Amino acid sequence: MFEAIRVEGLVKRFGSFTAVDDVSFVVMAGEIFGILGPNGAGKTTTLEIIEGLQKPSAGRVSVLGLDSRREAGRIKGRIGVQLQSSAYFNFLSLREILHLLGSFYPRRAVPDELLEQVGLADKGSSRVNQLSGGQQQRFTVAASLVNAPELVILDEPTTGLDPQARHNLWALIGEIQRRGITVVLTTHYMEEAEALCQRLAIMDQGRIVAIDTPDNLISRIETTYTVKLVTPAPLTEKQSRPLERVAAVQSVSQDLEAPTGETRDGHIYQLRLDKTPEALNDILDGIVRSGVTLKHLEILPATLEDVFLELTGNELRD
Amino acid sequence: MLPLTVANLKMLARNRQTTFWALFFPLVLVVAFGLFDPTSFGSFTLAVIDEAQTPAAGQMTAELEGIPNLRVEAEPGGVQAGRRLVADGALDYLLFIPPGFAAGEVFVPATLVANTQDEGRNQLIEGIVRRISEEVILGEATALPPATLVTERLASRQVSYFDLVLFGLVGMGIMTNAIISIAVRISNYRNLSILKRMLVTPLPIWQFFAAEVMAQLALALVQAVVILAVGVFVFKAQINGNVLYLLPVVLLGSLIFLNIGFIVSAWANSPAAASGIGNAVAFPMMFFAGTFFSTATLPGLLPYVADALPLAPMLAALREIAIYEASLGQVWPELAILAGWVAGTALVAIRVFRFS
Repeated sequence: MFEAIRVEGLVKRFGSFTAVDDVSFVVMAGEIFGILGPNGAGKTTTLEIIEGLQKPSAGRVSVLGLDSRREAGRIKGRIGVQLQSSAYFNFLSLREILHLLGSFYPRRAVPDELLEQVGLADKGSSRVNQLSGGQQQRFTVAASLVNAPELVILDEPTTGLDPQARHNLWALIGEIQRRGITVVLTTHYMEEAEALCQRLAIMDQGRIVAIDTPDNLISRIETTYTVKLVTPAPLTEKQSRPLERVAAVQSVSQDLEAPTGETRDGHIYQLRLDKTPEALNDILDGIVRSGVTLKHLEILPATLEDVFLELTGNELRD
Repeated sequence: MLPLTVANLKMLARNRQTTFWALFFPLVLVVAFGLFDPTSFGSFTLAVIDEAQTPAAGQMTAELEGIPNLRVEAEPGGVQAGRRLVADGALDYLLFIPPGFAAGEVFVPATLVANTQDEGRNQLIEGIVRRISEEVILGEATALPPATLVTERLASRQVSYFDLVLFGLVGMGIMTNAIISIAVRISNYRNLSILKRMLVTPLPIWQFFAAEVMAQLALALVQAVVILAVGVFVFKAQINGNVLYLLPVVLLGSLIFLNIGFIVSAWANSPAAASGIGNAVAFPMMFFAGTFFSTATLPGLLPYVADALPLAPMLAALREIAIYEASLGQVWPELAILAGWVAGTALVAIRVFRFS
């Protein structure tokens, strides 16, 4: 396997603000590589440097073995790019837009085949503004494939989509990978990163804090489980003390922003558990001893959410 | 670049609103000015050169002054000067009353000089002047001499106000459309990230702008042809010169206004703002550069300001070529000024342009 992208010591400064701060990573050919992080983490800036839209302040980037400073034109010919907010010409049909974009490249795919691949075969004569949000997003993916690229870069491809449309797009991205195209995408959705990516870079405040497979990232962290308690009344000190005394409990936090459903009127507490063999037994024991009345109890395995929290100390929010 | 130009033309053709307004406004004005001929009703002018200095001659002048719609102008300073004014159309009629008119032994008739602009009116005025001269002479003499009035026709260039305005409208239509259309389109492309989308393709970005400019130049030519065709075939405007010479003027002018459109798009943060700023630039220029009225009638230093606007040399060149049959060599100063504007506005546009 060869390297599709190699980024070494990448820095991008805007005045006194450092958007990308010494970032290095390698994307292997054929994989789906994700960059996960909150808004403003530097994901888009990193991608734009790889795409040749911005010049780095320091560091080196090579794409498909080509140096990004000296061979930007050749790189552009061989990669496909979907920008974060990309609309297209209003007065051209989808087929005409793909035809036009294709005309800029030495190698080009057939517009109708592209539309078929993204499930828009019957929309070739439509205009972009006649499509739904999910269809538009699938079209921008099709547009990133006009040059039959070896690598596609998708910047937040599913942002703003409903769950159904998001799952359709995941299937499409998986299909692109199966055809041998390397995929780099950014996201701020944990479940998207877990579902799609073979490897993942977690980015925060311009730095990469971890790179690994999603499973390895999760098993690497201290937390094993999150226990969620829903009680009809706030916990008294007498009730919470036995819980805090359980050796495996890292933290007890009250979740004020309760999710929807049956737990709406309850008081939600989250207990993060250490990675010890007795953790689950001990916490169940602690709950019994505290004598608290439970409306609801959930024991959740650690997720990338926990990884992010542990690595950055911040919650990942949209 | 050719596919992009073709795509641009398709988009322009499908964006019916833009194309409609590119032609609608100037055409409305063509119709308005075509219908509204300020020279056909209202006044016409006549100057009297009275070398007889007799009571009869004085009476004749007085009677002429009483005719409605006829404005008697000051004496032009000699018969030759008067004839030139009539030939140029600056004066409609010249009445020369020679020494010996209605006095002395040998009768000398008066001479009415007219040009060939309006034959119908000429007949009418000749009739009136002849009748007055006969009345005046009958008051002095017992019998009418064989000829009281001779008429003389000078071939004149038929420059009507509508002809002048028509070329103003060609320039105005191209100017407003080029500025506003390009400013709004580029601003829109920036908002939709289309410019950025182009930058991630291997297309050299100058080709993107070149294709944009070529499509707009094609639209400008269509505008010029349609506006002139309506003016000539519907409203009987006269084009005396070589129409093909208009082409370089139209293209140079279009380039200036497209550059200005690019500059406006760099200032504007939204397509709506681009439209507003574009209008703010285009409309004062339309009036001050002499689309409808001669800039010479502006007060104070304003005529100099008007001539400094890029539309002014464009209109001057269009009118010189089409109306006064100038060759390209004769309008080289205007062409040079236009080329200078193209270069200057291009430099500014390149400096201030931004992709995002």
